[in-house]
Amino acid sequence: MGYLNKAKKVIQRLTFYICAVGMFLLIPMMLLTVGDVIVRVAWARTIPGAVETSEYMLAVFILLGLAFTQQIKGHVRVSFLISRLSARAQPAMEIFTTLLSLFIIFIVVWQGWVIGIHETAVSDMLRVPQAPFKLLVAVGGFLLFLELLIDLAVSTGKLIRRQP
Amino acid sequence: MSPIIAGIVGVVVVFLLLFLGMPIACALMLVGFIGLIYLTSIGAALPVAASTIYHVAAYYPYTVIPLFIIMGGLATSAGLTGELYRAADKWFRRLPGGLGVATIGTCAGFAAVSGSSVATAAAMGTIALPEMKRFNYSPRLATGTIAAGGTLGFLIPPSIGFVVYGMLTEQSIGKLLISGIFPGLGLAAAYIAIIIFQVKLNPGLAPVSPEAVSWKEKLVALRGIWETLVVFLVVMGGIYLGWFTPTEAGAIGATTLFLIALVKRKVTGHSLFASLEEAVRVSVMVLFLVAGATVFSYFLALSTIPAQVATWVAGLEVSRYVILGLILAIFIFLGCFIDAISMMVLTMPVIFPLILTLGFDPIWFGVIAVLMMEAGLITPPMGLNVYTIAGAAKDVPVEEIFRGALPFLIAIVVIVAIITIFPQIALFLPARMIR
Repeated sequence: MGYLNKAKKVIQRLTFYICAVGMFLLIPMMLLTVGDVIVRVAWARTIPGAVETSEYMLAVFILLGLAFTQQIKGHVRVSFLISRLSARAQPAMEIFTTLLSLFIIFIVVWQGWVIGIHETAVSDMLRVPQAPFKLLVAVGGFLLFLELLIDLAVSTGKLIRRQP
Repeated sequence: MSPIIAGIVGVVVVFLLLFLGMPIACALMLVGFIGLIYLTSIGAALPVAASTIYHVAAYYPYTVIPLFIIMGGLATSAGLTGELYRAADKWFRRLPGGLGVATIGTCAGFAAVSGSSVATAAAMGTIALPEMKRFNYSPRLATGTIAAGGTLGFLIPPSIGFVVYGMLTEQSIGKLLISGIFPGLGLAAAYIAIIIFQVKLNPGLAPVSPEAVSWKEKLVALRGIWETLVVFLVVMGGIYLGWFTPTEAGAIGATTLFLIALVKRKVTGHSLFASLEEAVRVSVMVLFLVAGATVFSYFLALSTIPAQVATWVAGLEVSRYVILGLILAIFIFLGCFIDAISMMVLTMPVIFPLILTLGFDPIWFGVIAVLMMEAGLITPPMGLNVYTIAGAAKDVPVEEIFRGALPFLIAIVVIVAIITIFPQIALFLPARMIR
């Protein structure tokens, strides 16, 4: 159990710090958009690449936050039925649904990687390559996969402790 | 298995997984993926989920979501909630249930600078609740009022409810936001009427606040609302006049609130971090859900269910208002168990084409849909706002808060009926928008 707890702590800290990196991009995104409006109103011009830069920042903000949102149980789920199940059925059901989630997130990580490494497109104005941002689907998905593995271990632990 | 049977099986499996507690976005993505394999091929289905996630996460108009959410956090940091409450209290405290009325007024004011309904309820829980307790208000009335008042955050723009509806139905988010102004004010008035009516019926619920307030004090207290008013007028006025898009309005609103908080020296590292964390949590939740729903709706569209349902219902020999009533009943029922945004995401692919076939105005229906989302926030057993208040009012049982919030459902139903009879209430402003 000691190793599991240590792994859990490392993964959770990692997803937290990675999310924090993306999180602070909201401030430049906010200021860039305001700057774009001011330049437009005052000089009838736009900041070159403002929209595409915002798009890239939003992608980083969201994709790097995928796993942390799972850590704080922010992805919505319906819990009223499962919370009424017996102490054994509840973790068993959690294991079942977590395995299904792991499966689809595995597909996302795999395909995110495949799409990312084959991407050759660049943005319209600033010619910034899309590939690193598309690869973040695989990175964010992989961290989410790790968070789901923690949930799987916790539910399995609960089930084992409840065995007669 | 024909495509339509495959679609029905898919819908049933999604609901099954959902009630088994699977994260809704993952359930939609999984069933959508398997459905696409069945109706197309594995090669076509494999990249869909990953590419959809990227396209949703990197779509410029969606930047409005974190910006609207962070507006609420920054408004709280800047102390706007407390100032609004002090002003509303001075003006309304002598009315029957005056502190409750002030709470609704504050919620409406806070909703005008915040996109999140739960944030509104959470902010009010810490300010209005102790005050109502001090004046011996019934805990049921006090907590119910805050839970219901919090729902105003969904209807009064800026509102995430309208953004999500606009995203799912490809309607103008600007027009939707503007359409929420009058219905939002109407709902706030209806909530106030519900409080006064309850207190008139049973004065023991809310003893009259003793100290009277002079006119001078009342006028001085108005100073507390100017910041909120300026932010609201700039953000919504700019959208209305076509000066900027909702995304730009969100950025301007958030920056203005950030500057207000900075000038008042109320920005701390901790409060900024908390606001950013809230923004990332809600935005990721919403956009991951939308990505899941998009994958599922590709499958649903291939199964032809939305088109078939629309054709079938259009052929029925009943008034379109009967069908609307049924749709609203489904919303009320689902809202009891599923959170508001998930409910929209799950139902819109089928219900929206139906609404268009029946000839209802899509912007008007947006207002109705958001009102139904609000109802879901306070109906048992899963009303999210009620649980938020339960966190702040630890000595009041959750059942008591649900009972307290229940009378406010009447207000929502009445407003839905009024807006159905007089759609102009919602459509008057958007019809006059510059673009």
